[in-house]
Amino acid sequence: MISVKNLSYSYNKDDNLAVNNISFEVAKGETFGFLGPSGAGKSTTQNILTGLLKLQQGEVTVGGFDLKKVHNERFNKIGVSFEESNVYGKLIAKENLKFYAKLFDVPTRDPDELIALVGLEGKEKVRAGEFSKGMKHRLTFARSMLNNPELWFLDEPTTGLDPAIAATIKDIIRDRAAKGTTSFLTTHNMYIADELCDRVAFIIDGEIHLIDTPKNLKIKYGKKLIDIEYVKENKAVKETLKTVDEQDKKRIGEIVANYDIQTMHSKEATLEEIFIEVTGRGLV
Amino acid sequence: MKLISSYIKEMKIAARGFYFYIETSFAVILLLVLLLAVNENPVSRQKEYLSSDLPAQFTQAMIDTGISEGTARWADDTEFVLKPNSFEVTNKQTDEIIKYDFDEEQTVMVSTLENLDPKTKELASTAYFFDAEEDLIRVLYDQKYVGAVLGLTNTGELSYKYYLQGFETERMVDLLSVLNLGSLDELEEASKAIEVRSLGSFTNLNNRQNLIPVFLTFTGSLMGFFIVMAYIFLDKDEGVIKAFAVTPSSVWKYLLSKTMIIMTTVVFSSTIIMIPIMGAQPNYLLFYPFLLITTFTFAALGLLSASFFDSISKSFGLMYGLMIVLMMPAFSYFIPSFDPLWLRFFPTYPILQGYKEILVSNGDTGYVLMYTGIFLAAGIIIFLLANFRFKKTLTV
Repeated sequence: MISVKNLSYSYNKDDNLAVNNISFEVAKGETFGFLGPSGAGKSTTQNILTGLLKLQQGEVTVGGFDLKKVHNERFNKIGVSFEESNVYGKLIAKENLKFYAKLFDVPTRDPDELIALVGLEGKEKVRAGEFSKGMKHRLTFARSMLNNPELWFLDEPTTGLDPAIAATIKDIIRDRAAKGTTSFLTTHNMYIADELCDRVAFIIDGEIHLIDTPKNLKIKYGKKLIDIEYVKENKAVKETLKTVDEQDKKRIGEIVANYDIQTMHSKEATLEEIFIEVTGRGLV
Repeated sequence: MKLISSYIKEMKIAARGFYFYIETSFAVILLLVLLLAVNENPVSRQKEYLSSDLPAQFTQAMIDTGISEGTARWADDTEFVLKPNSFEVTNKQTDEIIKYDFDEEQTVMVSTLENLDPKTKELASTAYFFDAEEDLIRVLYDQKYVGAVLGLTNTGELSYKYYLQGFETERMVDLLSVLNLGSLDELEEASKAIEVRSLGSFTNLNNRQNLIPVFLTFTGSLMGFFIVMAYIFLDKDEGVIKAFAVTPSSVWKYLLSKTMIIMTTVVFSSTIIMIPIMGAQPNYLLFYPFLLITTFTFAALGLLSASFFDSISKSFGLMYGLMIVLMMPAFSYFIPSFDPLWLRFFPTYPILQGYKEILVSNGDTGYVLMYTGIFLAAGIIIFLLANFRFKKTLTV
C-alpha cells in the first residue's frame, strides 16, 4: 500500500536532512507504527506521504499512486487525522463534516454516525470553536474517516485525550484494521504502538534504526525483568533485574537470602525500553 | 459541485465572522456620510467689505436694480465692533504712508446686502456697506479681510480703491488692477461672451456623486484585496487549509470560492452606496461586470500576496504599503492638475476613471469595456499565479 525507497528531505534544500535516505514498505491491511521522539522526522515523512510536502528525493508510491505525479483522486482512498486539530471554528460539528464529505468523489459516511462514534453525540449543532481541545481532536479524527479510507494516516491519534476517550479511539482503529484498512500511525507513545501496530519502525534524526513486529522486538531485544522491593537498613529499596543475566540472577538470590522482600513482580521489557536500548535515546 | 459547496461554506463562515459586517457597516457609514455630510451642490459664499464714495442716488440705483432683478435683497444691519488699534496704510502707487490711531472701541451698524445666485436664487455673497471709509479700514485690519471703496473718476466712470493686507501675491494684485479697467457693462458683456467647455465628462455628477468612484474603489478593490488575505490567514491559523489539501478537491476551487465570497460581499456593499445615491442614472449592465471583474483581480492579487506569508502579522508591511500606493490615484481624481503620467500605470487609476465613466450619463462605454477586458485578463493571470503558488505552499 505504501512503498518508500531512499526518501530524503531537507526543509532548506541543503545538507541538513530532516529525513535521510529511509526505505520501508507497508502492506495492505497492515497497521504500521512510525515511532520516534519529537523532531525525529515522523511528521515530515507523513507529510510527504500525504502530499503536504513535495517529494524531493526518492521513490514513493502511496495507494498505488506515484508521488512524483499529481493525482488528487488518490485522496478518495486516503484519510488523514492530524495531530493538531484543524476544524472550522465558525461551523458547527455537523457542518464541518458535511462540507468535507462533499469534497470527495466516493460515497461518504453519515456525519451524525461519525460524530456519535467518537463520543460527540449531542454536540452536532455546537460550533467547533466552542469545543475543548480534546473534542476538536475527536472531530478531526472523525473527519478522517468520512471517505471510508483504505489508507489511514494517524498522527498521534490519542494525544491529549482522557483515558476513556483514548480507549474508544483505539477500539475504532482496531475495528478498522480488522476490516482491512491500512494504517500509518506516527507517535511517540510506545504503549499505543505496542497495542495497535503490526510492525513498527524506530526513527531518530531522520534515519530508521530498525523495523520489526513488537513481538519480535521483545524477543530479540527484550529481556525478562523482575522488580524487587526489599528492606535494607530500615529503608525500602527497589531494583529491576534481568532474569537472563548471570550477574542479575546471582543478585536476585542474594536479595532473597539476605533481605526482607516486600514485593517482587516479573515483567516484559516495554517497547520504550527497547527503543532506548536500540537507539540510545529516549522518546521525549 | 465542490466549488458551490466551498462557496456555501465560505458564505456561512463570512456571515458568522466579522469581516463581512465590517465591510457592510463601512458601506452604510459611507452612505450616511454622503447623504448627511456632503452637499450635492455646495455654495461658496463670499463676503464683500465695501464703502461707497458714490453719490447716494447712484449707489441706490445699483442696489435697486439688483433687488428688482431678484439677484439681491436687503438683510438686517450687521453689527461690527471697531477695536482700538494703531496701524499704517501704504499707497502702492504713490508710496504715501498714512498712519491711523484709534484709541476707543466703537460699535457700528452696517447696511448688509445679500447677493443671490441668478440661477438657484441661493445666497451667493454678502456685501457690507460701511458709511465711513475709516470704519471699513479698521474692520479690515482687525479681521484681515480685503475691502474696496467705490467711487467715480473725473470722467464719471466707476473706480475702485482696494485695501489689501500686504501679504497678497503680485498675481492677485495684478488681477484686481485689471479687473475693473473696463466699465461694468463691458465686464458683463465680456463675461457673457466667454464660452466654457468642460474637459472632463463628469460635469453632470454632483459633489456627492463625484465621491462614489473613490468609495467604490476603496470598498471594492482595496477591501477585497485586504479581506481575502485575512480569510486565507484565518484558514492558515485554524489549519483547515491542510485538511483541504488532503481531499480530492483542487486548490483552484478553494481559491475561487474565496474570491467569490469577496465578490458577493462587494456587490452587496457597493449596492448599498450606489442605489440610494445614483438611482437609475448609471448603466448597471456596465457597472456590475466592471465591479465584479476589478474585485476579482484585486482578490486574486490578495491571494497571491497571501501565498508568500504564513501569518497576517508578517504580511502587514506589504498589505499597508500596497494599499497606500494603490490609493494614490485618488489624489489625481480630486486634484486634476496633479495627473503625472506614471500615476496612470497604477491599476486603481483606470478603476476610478472607469467608475466615473459609468456614473455619468454620457460616459465612455468603450473605455469601461476595454478596462473590463484588461482587468479580466490580468485577474486570470494573477489567479493562475496564485494557484501555482498555493499548490507549492499550501501548508506554509
